[in-house]
Amino acid sequence: MKKIQYIIQTTFLLGVISLTSCKKDFVNPNAPTTDQVFSSARGLVGVNIGNQRTYSLGGASVIYSVVTTNAFATNEVILMNSGNTAEFQFSKGGTSVDATNTVLANAWTNANKVIFDANSVINAAAKINDKTYASGLIAHASILKALSLGSMSMLWEKVPDTIGVNVTFSDRMVGYAKAIAALDNAINAVKANPISATYTSDAVAGIDYLNTLYALKARYALFAGKNADALTAANLVDLTKKSTFNFDAVSTNPIFTTVTSTNNVYQAIDSTLGLPASLAPSASDGRIAFYTSINATINPRYRINGFYSSTTTGIPIYLPSEITLIKAEAYARTNDLTNALVELNKVVTKTAAVDPFKIGANLAASTASTQAALLTEIYKNRCIELYMSGLKIEDMRRFARPTTEMKRNFFPYPFKERDGNTNTPTDPSF
Amino acid sequence: MKQQQTKKPFLNRLAMVLVLLSGLTVTSFAQVVISGKVTNQKDNTPIEGISIVIKGTRAGANTDNNGNFSISHKGNGVIILNTSGVGFKSQDITVDTKGTTKNINIVLVEQYSKLDEVVVTGTSAGTTKRQLGSYVSTVSADEISNGATSNVLAALQGKTAGAQISQNSGDPAGGVSVRLRGTSSVLSSSEPLYIVDGVIINNATNRVTNTSGNYDGTNFVGSIGQNRMVDINPADIDHIEVLNGAAAAAIYGSRANAGVIQIFTKKGKTGAPKVSFSSSYLNSSLRNKLEVNQSPTKFGGPTDGAGALTQDVIAAPLATTTTNVTRYDYQDYIFRNAAGTDNTISISGGTDKTKYYFGGSYFYNQGIINNTDFQRFSFRTNIDQTVNKWLSMNLGVSYTNSAANEKPDGQSFFSPTNSITIIGNFHNIWARDANGNLQAVGERGRVNPVSVMEDIKQKQATNRIITNFGVKLKPIKHLSIDYLMGVDNYSQSGTTYIPPFTYNASTAFYGGGATLDPTQNGYASAASNNFFQINHDLNANYNINITPDINSTTQVGFSQQYEKNNYILFQGRGFAPFIETVNGASTILPGVDDRSELSVSGTYVQQNFKYKNYLFLTGAIRNDGSSVFGANQRNQTYSKASVSYIVSSTDTWNNLAISKLIDLFKLRAAYGESGNLTGIGAYSRFNSYSSNSFLGRSALNSSATLANENVKPERQAETEFGVDLGAFNNRVGLTVNIYNKKVSDLLINRQLSPTNGFASVLDNFGSLENKGYEIMLSFVPIQNKNLKWELTTIYNHNENKALKIGQALTLLSTNAGAPVAIIEGQPLGVFYGTYFARKADGSLITNAAGIPQTAKGTQSSVLNPTETLDASGLPTGTVLRKVIGNPNPKYTGSILNELTYKKWSFRAQIDFVQGVDVFNADFRTRQGVGNGKVAEQEQKGLIPRGFVTGVYAIEEWRVDKGDYVKLRELSLSYNLGKVAFANNLSINFSGRNLISWDSYKGYDPEVNAAGQSTILRGIDFGSTPIPRSFSFGIKADF
Repeated sequence: MKKIQYIIQTTFLLGVISLTSCKKDFVNPNAPTTDQVFSSARGLVGVNIGNQRTYSLGGASVIYSVVTTNAFATNEVILMNSGNTAEFQFSKGGTSVDATNTVLANAWTNANKVIFDANSVINAAAKINDKTYASGLIAHASILKALSLGSMSMLWEKVPDTIGVNVTFSDRMVGYAKAIAALDNAINAVKANPISATYTSDAVAGIDYLNTLYALKARYALFAGKNADALTAANLVDLTKKSTFNFDAVSTNPIFTTVTSTNNVYQAIDSTLGLPASLAPSASDGRIAFYTSINATINPRYRINGFYSSTTTGIPIYLPSEITLIKAEAYARTNDLTNALVELNKVVTKTAAVDPFKIGANLAASTASTQAALLTEIYKNRCIELYMSGLKIEDMRRFARPTTEMKRNFFPYPFKERDGNTNTPTDPSF
Repeated sequence: MKQQQTKKPFLNRLAMVLVLLSGLTVTSFAQVVISGKVTNQKDNTPIEGISIVIKGTRAGANTDNNGNFSISHKGNGVIILNTSGVGFKSQDITVDTKGTTKNINIVLVEQYSKLDEVVVTGTSAGTTKRQLGSYVSTVSADEISNGATSNVLAALQGKTAGAQISQNSGDPAGGVSVRLRGTSSVLSSSEPLYIVDGVIINNATNRVTNTSGNYDGTNFVGSIGQNRMVDINPADIDHIEVLNGAAAAAIYGSRANAGVIQIFTKKGKTGAPKVSFSSSYLNSSLRNKLEVNQSPTKFGGPTDGAGALTQDVIAAPLATTTTNVTRYDYQDYIFRNAAGTDNTISISGGTDKTKYYFGGSYFYNQGIINNTDFQRFSFRTNIDQTVNKWLSMNLGVSYTNSAANEKPDGQSFFSPTNSITIIGNFHNIWARDANGNLQAVGERGRVNPVSVMEDIKQKQATNRIITNFGVKLKPIKHLSIDYLMGVDNYSQSGTTYIPPFTYNASTAFYGGGATLDPTQNGYASAASNNFFQINHDLNANYNINITPDINSTTQVGFSQQYEKNNYILFQGRGFAPFIETVNGASTILPGVDDRSELSVSGTYVQQNFKYKNYLFLTGAIRNDGSSVFGANQRNQTYSKASVSYIVSSTDTWNNLAISKLIDLFKLRAAYGESGNLTGIGAYSRFNSYSSNSFLGRSALNSSATLANENVKPERQAETEFGVDLGAFNNRVGLTVNIYNKKVSDLLINRQLSPTNGFASVLDNFGSLENKGYEIMLSFVPIQNKNLKWELTTIYNHNENKALKIGQALTLLSTNAGAPVAIIEGQPLGVFYGTYFARKADGSLITNAAGIPQTAKGTQSSVLNPTETLDASGLPTGTVLRKVIGNPNPKYTGSILNELTYKKWSFRAQIDFVQGVDVFNADFRTRQGVGNGKVAEQEQKGLIPRGFVTGVYAIEEWRVDKGDYVKLRELSLSYNLGKVAFANNLSINFSGRNLISWDSYKGYDPEVNAAGQSTILRGIDFGSTPIPRSFSFGIKADF
C-alpha cells in the first residue's frame, strides 16, 4: 500500500510541477502597440519626433536620398567610389539609373512612411482637448508630410494619391497641391490656437513652426506655378528666424556622416558648384567658401562644406534667402521687374554678417533689366545660394535648362513599388 | 529493496506451499545469478556498455569495462536474454536457469546495418531502429573524437546522411550551420532543434561583440559570431542521434520543423572506477594564401600623404599616369601558425544502483588571425540512482565557462581580412611618426590593418549551466512513467574597444574623420545576454502483448517549455586614450534593452503495434500551443504515421534462396507533420512602435513591417520512403531514403509597395518544398583477424524550391551587396542580378575598347529577360537581371575509408559539395582597390584600361563557383594496449581540412560572412578562412 501511495504522490507532484507557469499571454515590455501610442498626446508627440527622425536621420533618410539624388542629377557633386552602386548609377545618369536604385527606394519608402504616420497624428490630434497642443501636433506633422509630398513630386513624374493598397497615381503637380493643402490646414489650426510652449518643449528643438509652414507653402506654390500664392506666403515669413532639422553627437548629420567624413561616396564638384561657365559664380562670391572647403594635400581638392560640415550641423528646412529669391522670381514671372531686381539684389549684396545662417555672396548689385535676364540671374543665384539643398532639379525644369546640363530628369519608380502595385506608372525614359 | 529482500524467504516458503498444494511438477523458485562476459567477435576484446535484459521482465544489467555482467533472477525454467548496445547486433540467448549460478559468455558481432541499435527518438523507453519507419542516424563518440576539432557540429561534418553542415567562419569559435534536408524556413532559423540529455539547448547567435549598427551600416547582415553549441564539450558525448525529417521528428512536434539533433552524454557503468584521460596539441594555419598584386606601378599619384590617390584602378576620371610603388603582402601580418591544447579527464563507475560519470576538460585554441583565441572549461556530472524496483532517478549537471579574444567579424570593413582586402597593397601600414602614431592609409579614411590587429580589442565570455533531472517510475507491470526537467541557463557578455585613431579614419568606422573629432573618435561597448530555459516532460508508456504475436506500446505525454531572454547593450564613442569603458565616452550612443518571454506546451498520444518481429506500425497525434502566436492560432495539431516491414525477418523470406545472401531487407514509409512554434519573435505578431532617443527626446517609430495578429505557425508535412539492405554477412549495407517535405503557411516578411505605409508585411504567404534522396553505402572489402577495411559513402541530393511567396520576387539588400532573392519556383536565397552580355557561343560581348558589357534589353518578367543588341552589336535597352547563382548545393556527400591493421587504425574522410555558387564580394573589392590579380593585369596593360571599372557593376562578376572536394579528416592512431599502469593507451595523429580541390577565387568556398543566417548563404565578405589543422594526442584509461 505504501508503494501505491508513493507512486500516487510522486506522480501528482510531477504533474503539478509540469503544469505550473503554463502562461501564454506575455506583454511586450519593449514597445507599445499602435492603440496605446495613439491614445495620448505624449504618444503623438513621440510619433512626430520619430517621424522627424525617419525624415532626417541616417543614410536611408529622405533628406539624404533627396539631396544625393538631386546633387548627382544636377551635376553638383562627383562620385568618389564606384563600389557605392546607387551613387554610381546616379553618376552615370540616364538609363544607368534603374529601379533597383537603393537611394531612390529609400526616398520613396521613407517619404510614404512619414506621410502615413503624419496622417495618423493629424487625425488623432483632433481628439486632443488641449487645442494649443493639438495645433503643435498638426503643424509638426504637416511640415513633415508636406516635405515628403514635395520631395516625391520633385523626383517623380507622378505621385501616389494616398496611402493604401494598390494606390493610384496623379501628376506631380497634384502632389504639390496636396502639400499646400496640408500646410493650409496646419496654418489654420495654428492661427485658431497658437502652439503652446508645452508642445514646443515636448518636441525636439529647431523648428520654427509657423514660419516654416509659410515658407514651405511659398516654395511649393512657386513650384506649382502659383506665383501670386507664393508671393503672399513668402511675405508672411519672418526672415530673421531660423528653422532647422537639428543633430547632435549621437544623432548625427546624415550627409556629413555618410559622405563628408568618409570621403568615399561623393564630393563637391569644384568652385563652379556644377554650373556651366556662363553661370558659374565669380571667384569673389562669398558663397563658394561657405559651401566648399579646400584640402590642398589630400584628394580631392574641393570638399563638401556648408550644412554638411560636422556631425552636429543642423540642416535648414528653408533658408530666409530662399524666401527672398521666391519673392524675386514671383515678381519677375508676373512682370514686376523692379521689385524682382530689388529682391534679387538683397541676396546678391548680402553679407554673411546679416544672414541668419551666415551665407553672404557680398557681390555688387545686379543690373539685369529684362525679364529673361532677371530670371537667369535668379536661377544662377538659387543654384549658388541653395547649393546641395536638394531643390535644384525643380529649378532646372522651371527655368527650362537644357537636359544636357542634367544627368537625369525624372526617376524610375522603385521595383519595391512596382512589384506590389499594378497602378505604378511607366518609367520615364530620362 | 531491503524490504523486498527480507521478504524473500517468506515468499519462497509461500511458493513452496503453493506448489505443493497445487501438486504441480515445478520443484523450485530459487534465485539464480546469471553472470558472464561479453566480447567482440572481431578481436575477442571485452565490450563495455552492452545492456542485457531478461525478456519479459524488468531485470537486467549493463556490462562493465571488462565486459562482465551479472543479473539476479528469481524463478526457473528457460529464459531469454536480450542484448543491445550501440554498434553491435542484438542477440537473443536462451538460458536454462536450473541451478543457482549460470555463466554465459556472449560473443557479439559488430553491426554495419545498425538495425538493432537502440535509439531514443523522443520516446521515454527507447526503441530499436528495426521499428522505425523513418531514418534516424546515430553517430558514436569514436566518430567525432578524432577529427581535430573541438566543435561538436564541425565534428559531425560528413558523418550523417541528409545533413549539410558548413563552418561559416574560421575563427576558433566560429559558427557552424546545420541544414537537415534543406532549408525549411525563410524567416526563422533553419537550424535543427538541439537536445542534450532531454534538455532543449539554445543555439542562438547573440551579438555581444560586433555590437553597433555602424559595424555594418545597420544593414541586414545575418547572424554572425559564435553560436552557443560551442559550449558543448565533445569529450562528454556518448553518441548523437540525428533525426532528419518531420516524420522522425514528429514526436517533438512544435519545434522540430528543421529536424532534431539529440546528444547523449556519457554515463557511468557498473564496475570499478575508470579514469580516462586524453591530451592533445593542436596546430592550425592558413590553408590557402591568396596571390596579391605584384605590379610595380599604380595609376595616378602617390599612395599616401599629399595628393594621394587610392583605388587607382577605378577612381574616376581614370588616371593614365603611373607611379612606382612597393607592393606588400599583408596576409603574412594578419595570419599566423596557431597552437592549441585540449585536455580532458573523466572518472566513471558505479554499483548496481548508483552510477556516476564526472568529466572535466580544458580546451584552448588560438585563431589563425593574430591575437584571437578561444578557451573553454567544462565540467559534467551524471548520476544515475536506482532507488528501488519501481523508482530510479538521474541527474546531470554541466557547467561551461568559455572566453574568446576576437577581432571584428566579417561584414564590416575593419575585420582583419577585410581591412587588408579594402586597401591597395602599396601602403607601408607599419610606418609611424615620431610620436609612434600610426599613419592614415590613403585618403579615404580606411582603418589601418595595424590598428585592427594591435589596438582593437573584442572579448566575450559565457557561463552556462545545463541541468537535467529525471525520474523513472515503474508502478505496475507494463507501465512506466518518466518525468524530466531540464534547465539551460547562460549569461554571455562581451566588450568591444576601438581606441581613438591617431589618423584620419572615417567616422563610419568609429574614427574621428580628418579632424580627429573628439566626440566621435573611438568606440567602446559592453553587452550581455541572459538566457533561461526550463522544460518539463512527463511521459507514460504502457507496453503489453495482446496476443503472442502482437505487441502494443501506448505512450502519452505532456511537455512544457518556458524561455526568457534579456539583452542589454551599453555603448559610446569619442574617447580619450587608454579609457576602455563606456563611462568615459564623450558621446553615449543609444543603448539596447530588449526583453522577451515565451512559452510552448503540448500533449501527445502515440500508439505502436508490433507484429512478430517484422511488422511495425506507429501512429501519433499531438497538440501544441505557443505564446508567440495569437490566441486563435496558438494551438496546432500534428499527426504522424509510419510503417516498418522487415522482409528478411519473415518466414517466407527465410525459405527463399536469396536469404542466404541478403541478411537484411527492410522497407519503411513514414509521414509526419511538424510546426515552427517559435518561428517568429516573442512579440512579432503585434503592430507596435519602437522607441529611440532622438535629440534628447523619446521618438516613437512605427515598424517598417506590417504585422498580422492572426499569423499562424509554419507547418511542415513530410513523406519519406526508405529501404535498408544488408548482404554478405552484413559486409555490404545500403540505405536509401527518398523524401518530400512541404512547408505550408510559410512565413514571409515580404516587400510591400511603400505606398501602403509599410515597407514589408509579415504573414503566411508562402510555401516551399525540399525534395531529395540520401544514399548510404557501406562496404567491408576486407575483414580478417588482423586487417579490416571499411568504406562508407554518403550521397545527399536536395532540391529546394520556393513554391509560393506571395509575389514574384523579394530582393533583399545586403551589406556585402549580394543580391539575395526569393523567387517563386527557384531555390531560396538565389543570387538575382545583372549579368554579362554574351554571344550565341557563350563568349562575352565587348565594346570597341575590349570591355565586357552588361546585358540589356527588355525585362518582361522576373525570370524573362530578352536581350537586344544595337546596330553595332552592343547591348541596348534597360539593364537586365536573371538568376546568376545558387548558394544551395545540388548534392553533397562524403567518402570515409577506415582501415584497422592490428593495433593501427587509419581513417580518411573526403567531403564533397557540388553545384553551388558563392557571392565573392571580396574578389571584386580586391580588384577595385588594386590588390587583386585582375587589377595587376590592368596596371601592367595586359587587359584594357577601364576593364575593372567597366565590369564593376555587373553582379555576375562576383559570382564564383563554390564547388569543392575536401580532405576533411585524416587520422592515424596506434593502440599500445596495456602499458605500465595504463589499461589502454593510444596515440593519435589527425588532420582536418587538409586539402581542398576547388576553383574558387578566394580563400575557401566553404564560408558565409552572414554567419548562421537562414537566407543569406554563400557570401564571402571579410570572414576568417577555415584553417587547416593538425592534432597530436594521447588517450589512456586507468
